[in-house]
Amino acid sequence: MSEALLVQEAGAAPVAAPASGARQFWLRLRAQRAAAVAAAVVLLLLLAALAAPLLAALAGQDPDTYHPDLVDSAAGGVPIGSFGGISADHWFGVEPQTGRDLFARVVYGARVSLGVAVAATVLQVAIGLVVGLAAALGNRWIDQVLSRITDINVALPLMVIALALLAIVPPSFPRPVLIALVIGGINWAGTSKIVRAQALALKSLDFVSAARLAGRGRWSIARRELLPSLAAPVITYAALLFPVNITVEAALSFLGVGIKPPTPSWGQMLTEADTWYQSAPTYLLIPAGLLFVTVLSLTVLGEGVRTALDPRAASRLRIGTGREERGERTKERAS
Amino acid sequence: MSQPSVISRRVATAAAVSLALVAGLAACAGPKSSDDADGGSGGSGTSGKPQKGGTLTVLNSNPQEDFDPARLYTSGGGNVPSLVFRTLTTRNRENGAAGAEVVPDLATDLGTPSKNATVWTYTLKDGLKYEDGTAITSADIKYGIERSFAAELSGGAPYLRDWLIGGADYQGPYKDKKGLASIEVPDDKTIVFHLNKPEGEFPFLATQTQTTPVPKAKDTGTKYEEHPVSSGPYKVVTNENDGERLVLERNEHWSAETDEERKAYPDKIDVRSGLDSAVINQRLSASQGVDAAAVTTDTNLGPAELAKVSGDKKLAARVGTGHFGYTNYIAFNPKVKPFDNPKVRQAISYAVDRSSVINAAGGSSLAEPATTYLPNQKSFGYTPYDHFPAGGTGNASKAKELLKEAGYPKGLKVTLTHSNDKDFETSPEIATALQAALKKAGITVELKGLESNDYSDTIHSASKEPGFFLAHWGADWPSGGPFLAPIFDGRQIVKDGANFNTGFLNDASVNKEIDEINKLTDLDAAATRWGALDKKIGEQALTVPLFHPVYKRLFGQDVKNVVISDWTGVLDISQAAVK
Repeated sequence: MSEALLVQEAGAAPVAAPASGARQFWLRLRAQRAAAVAAAVVLLLLLAALAAPLLAALAGQDPDTYHPDLVDSAAGGVPIGSFGGISADHWFGVEPQTGRDLFARVVYGARVSLGVAVAATVLQVAIGLVVGLAAALGNRWIDQVLSRITDINVALPLMVIALALLAIVPPSFPRPVLIALVIGGINWAGTSKIVRAQALALKSLDFVSAARLAGRGRWSIARRELLPSLAAPVITYAALLFPVNITVEAALSFLGVGIKPPTPSWGQMLTEADTWYQSAPTYLLIPAGLLFVTVLSLTVLGEGVRTALDPRAASRLRIGTGREERGERTKERAS
Repeated sequence: MSQPSVISRRVATAAAVSLALVAGLAACAGPKSSDDADGGSGGSGTSGKPQKGGTLTVLNSNPQEDFDPARLYTSGGGNVPSLVFRTLTTRNRENGAAGAEVVPDLATDLGTPSKNATVWTYTLKDGLKYEDGTAITSADIKYGIERSFAAELSGGAPYLRDWLIGGADYQGPYKDKKGLASIEVPDDKTIVFHLNKPEGEFPFLATQTQTTPVPKAKDTGTKYEEHPVSSGPYKVVTNENDGERLVLERNEHWSAETDEERKAYPDKIDVRSGLDSAVINQRLSASQGVDAAAVTTDTNLGPAELAKVSGDKKLAARVGTGHFGYTNYIAFNPKVKPFDNPKVRQAISYAVDRSSVINAAGGSSLAEPATTYLPNQKSFGYTPYDHFPAGGTGNASKAKELLKEAGYPKGLKVTLTHSNDKDFETSPEIATALQAALKKAGITVELKGLESNDYSDTIHSASKEPGFFLAHWGADWPSGGPFLAPIFDGRQIVKDGANFNTGFLNDASVNKEIDEINKLTDLDAAATRWGALDKKIGEQALTVPLFHPVYKRLFGQDVKNVVISDWTGVLDISQAAVK
């Protein structure tokens, strides 16, 4: 999904009334079956990632131990047995050449892949909020400067900059942290644009004017009046950014600048597996399948969150066109 | 609504058509291989009597850049270059160990040494001609060597510059018209070399393309590579994009009577380079159309490809296996702590798990365990030794014991530097396998991967060299000399510039023995001494030999007379036939 599209969709939500309570949100989210299933899958994956050492111990394996006896050395190191050596001991089979347990590597890999994506998303939201709010609330000069910086940020080619940055930073710096910083630091412009647009619209509403007339400071207004109303579009946008961040980490590791061995990540596993697609297909299919399921679930969940937060916008996007609604409004005003 | 379905139908039809085509081609290919089976033994391409004619296609990843005999850096004259450039001596074109011998080419013999192997005299055969029919003279060989000293034609091995008297200061024939006085040509058939020290292995050096004759009148300087004058069985007809596509056709003036080594069966050689290694192996395994008569001279089967090939008997019969003198090893810099302590180096030698390293390198079919620095071939003087026996999977308890003696009872934390190239030699997977093995001995290894150029600069810089890194070394010719001297001769330590003596060994007795062996002109006797020297140096544990690679390469189903020597480890295209 292109970034421009994300901005457009999330930003298309009209200035909503302050969120009508967490309970209502949950009810609306649960009502959508696809989103509920997606949420369950995401929750399961997050739990698996958190409990990686526990799960690996349960399987009696760890991600780094070599098992030379489980691969056919004379045949290039292909796993012995069908389906990549899947057995009672090795639930997902073993890695070609090394014989390392794939189940353990996949759950440990989930930690890196999901962890990096969570951290990067948090960073994108935090930077976006600060920059967007400052632009909306500051004077014209500050707004001009920050908006131009945001435009430049939009224009930066994420992959190219990330490749360059990751190549020059010394290898002693922890890679997962670095990748989260790079993705978060380069790709925050979308959040910032949404926040600025929403905050500018909210600024002119009565409750904000009232607060201003009461003599409250700018940051107090931002915190107490604007932030709660910004929650819906920002959470929606974040939910859509998250799967994008997972794929960016996978792509960087696939290109060889991401996570360094022996730390497993799904993207890094895909890199190692790409030559094996014919002789040991399960090696490629397992991380690829997990990546697919994760990104799909998160995207469905993101859509669900948006619908739950703003059912009016969602139903308009799904069924009708803007013209119909505007027509209705005109009718209302006329009557 | 109708549009998408039309498109998808069209795509489906196209897919069906191409499937049918593939099936048809496979069907066409079928009878051909069964013909082979009738005539020879089994359906493999190596059977049947080789005959003249046809076109041999070479599918390579690296282009034949700088196709000028002065600029090529080859072992034994190269594979494609050797079809065009004849040299004073050349490699014996036979399978296995016999192929590691040096034999005469343009010269009548391997040279006559005199004055303690500092003077080498060669006489040319009769009836040698260039592609234009003019006679090859010894003055042309002298001129060819002199050209290689010109700065604009650099690229060859450093030996001629190091060995010939006055070589270090000579600027080449364009700047210095008088030429190099240490190469004499008393008549058209004789050439004499005067060296600054005894070099019993000069006949090996004379196999390199720098001893190819170049007629002075035809020399066009840096443009000579576009159309070098052939002395071999083929001449260059086309050279596109600096050797990316090279088409060679028969040189009518080459005479098989003067050349015992090159068979030259095909009428035409078509070299196509710049291909991805996966594409090359895919095309050779499919062996369709022109690819049925194709070989590769630079692309090995990778581990995953080997796994696929081993499961297919027909395909496995079309794999050539070869050994090239090459060692992959761990190198220590004893100037860096804690590797100054021999016990630490020994502990690591004991802890390595060669079976997992070999698996990481592609498995037992693509790598053989090494405990000696010299390759495991007779021509190198291979003398088996295993000073710090680690067994197949490492001896962790012995390693721990040594670490305790060295003052590290609680283990050790070290950094292993490697390259990020995906070459299965000094690459991350080898480093990771070592990391896992050393962990068992209480040694925590941190990995430091460097990009290709950075890696090569760092490990060959006397000031920046890391303490513990992966390295590899290959032979310029199959002998212990070019293997041991650059790495262990104390006088070859280079402070500024590329240093290969990575262990900074400067042992008077080692230096003296190297000088003594260089005086020997009996190559077998020299080999034995190189082997003994290797065993002696090995006691210092400055390196941990890991494995010697094995080359596995596919060739097309019509290719016959496959010859793979231990000199190159690669199918020799001067022997291959396609009819």
